[in-house]
Amino acid sequence: MAQVIRPRIISILSVTAIILTLLAFPMLFMPSIKRMGDFVPMVLGIIITLQFVAVIGVWHMKRWGVSLFVMMFTIRVITFMFLEMYSFRFYFNIFYSVVFIFVFLYYYKKMDTNL
Amino acid sequence: MVFTLLKESTVFALQALIANKLRTFLSLLGITIGIFAIITVFTIVDSLERNIRGSVQSLGDNVVFVMKWPWSFGPDYPWWKYMNRPVPVYKELGEVQRKVKGAEAVGFRIGARKTLKHLNNTVENGIVSGWSYDYGKVKTFDIVEGRYFREDEAEGGYNVVILGNALAEGLFPNNEYAIGKTIKVAGRSCKVIGLFKKEGESMLGNTMDNQAVVPYNFARLFMDVKSENSDPFIAVKAKVGVSNAQLKDELTGAMRSIRSLKPLADDNFALNETNLLSKNFDSLFDIVGLAGAIIGGFSILVGGFGIANIMFVSVRERTNLIGIQKSLGAKNYFILAQFLFEAVFLSLLGGIIGLLLIYLLTLLAQGNIDMEITLTRSNVILGLTISVLIGIISGFIPAYGASQLDPVEAIRTN
Repeated sequence: MAQVIRPRIISILSVTAIILTLLAFPMLFMPSIKRMGDFVPMVLGIIITLQFVAVIGVWHMKRWGVSLFVMMFTIRVITFMFLEMYSFRFYFNIFYSVVFIFVFLYYYKKMDTNL
Repeated sequence: MVFTLLKESTVFALQALIANKLRTFLSLLGITIGIFAIITVFTIVDSLERNIRGSVQSLGDNVVFVMKWPWSFGPDYPWWKYMNRPVPVYKELGEVQRKVKGAEAVGFRIGARKTLKHLNNTVENGIVSGWSYDYGKVKTFDIVEGRYFREDEAEGGYNVVILGNALAEGLFPNNEYAIGKTIKVAGRSCKVIGLFKKEGESMLGNTMDNQAVVPYNFARLFMDVKSENSDPFIAVKAKVGVSNAQLKDELTGAMRSIRSLKPLADDNFALNETNLLSKNFDSLFDIVGLAGAIIGGFSILVGGFGIANIMFVSVRERTNLIGIQKSLGAKNYFILAQFLFEAVFLSLLGGIIGLLLIYLLTLLAQGNIDMEITLTRSNVILGLTISVLIGIISGFIPAYGASQLDPVEAIRTN
């Protein structure tokens, strides 16, 4: 595999994002989430999975990773607003995701355009 | 193109599965246990909720019950505040009927466990309920044979009885015709005039199957109507367009006036609604669901690590093959999809086994538990979706690593 030159901040943020994503997965099965509708855990599950894939892309310094991360962030915010999930977690998610996006975009030009 | 990709990935996945049966089985076990844990909890909670909602609905969701004790649970229940309250009595029924304008029907009910007899057949501890005539307008029930008692029978305290299915089967075995026969209820002769439709088990224990309903004025001859043991209550059904909150406000005023309570005195009665029961059960289900979610969620994650591990081994074993494929022109996404599909396939297989185990469990439960437990379509879809997503999460890193391999280095690998 080709050696990837990755800034330390990207490494730290990627590992943090991977841990947060993995910890978010069991939360899908919360009774409060299931009560919102039979398909809500599935939709949120797809968003979390794609966000995980995006972070792996960022870890490998790929532009598609950043694009997918931004896309999933937007979809997640819209979904949460649609489901009226205005909890502390919602605002915390927005906060750290915006920080991540700023850092990722800062290094965007140094990233690889290929898959 | 997509078809070729799917076909080749399936062949690779199957080859890997068959070649390493024990390794595959152990890797799938994590996902199987995770899906089994989560979907079993969801299935049981859904079935319990369905059953309880059915029982609550049979009590009526637009009905307010005037009782001594409020319906609430928990360690902070201040029972000492309620224990000296008087129980509702029959003479309050007429007052409530007169004063509460938002009521469509107002009924009174008492009940106690008594022995019922017909010739040589005896049913011990059958629930004998004494209903005022209008309680039949408040409670939901079906009569399959015979009729409900008339108003004059209710007022006059006629010795007539309507039997629940289980009691009828106990007193009249071998499909003997019960209507018109005389039975003994608490030692008193009583004519059977109707049979309730079979309802089955109820989570709240309010099934009509083990109840014998007699007019209140007959029941008071052999029941202590002022005793708490007779569980007396007044049930008030709201008119169409009157909310339970409005009805409760009106009832509070009426009951305080009937019991001549001073303005600053606390209420000495409780106004209970069926949604109070639902709310109490909702919090219980939330705790059970949360425990299941945490245990199952982390089991699935651990299962995912198992799949990720087997995929890393799989990539390592086939590095040489990946190099050949890439040197022959295979694109990165082709290699990525190949391994990703294999991971999803493995995870899905684990999920399907977990769901099959739950299905077998529900079949076993059907014969042994009175409650209906069903694996719903939405839970099956949820289980399969989770399996696929865990497959993607656990397989993406090894698959992406494989797709990024340098063909020359990959071919050289032993």
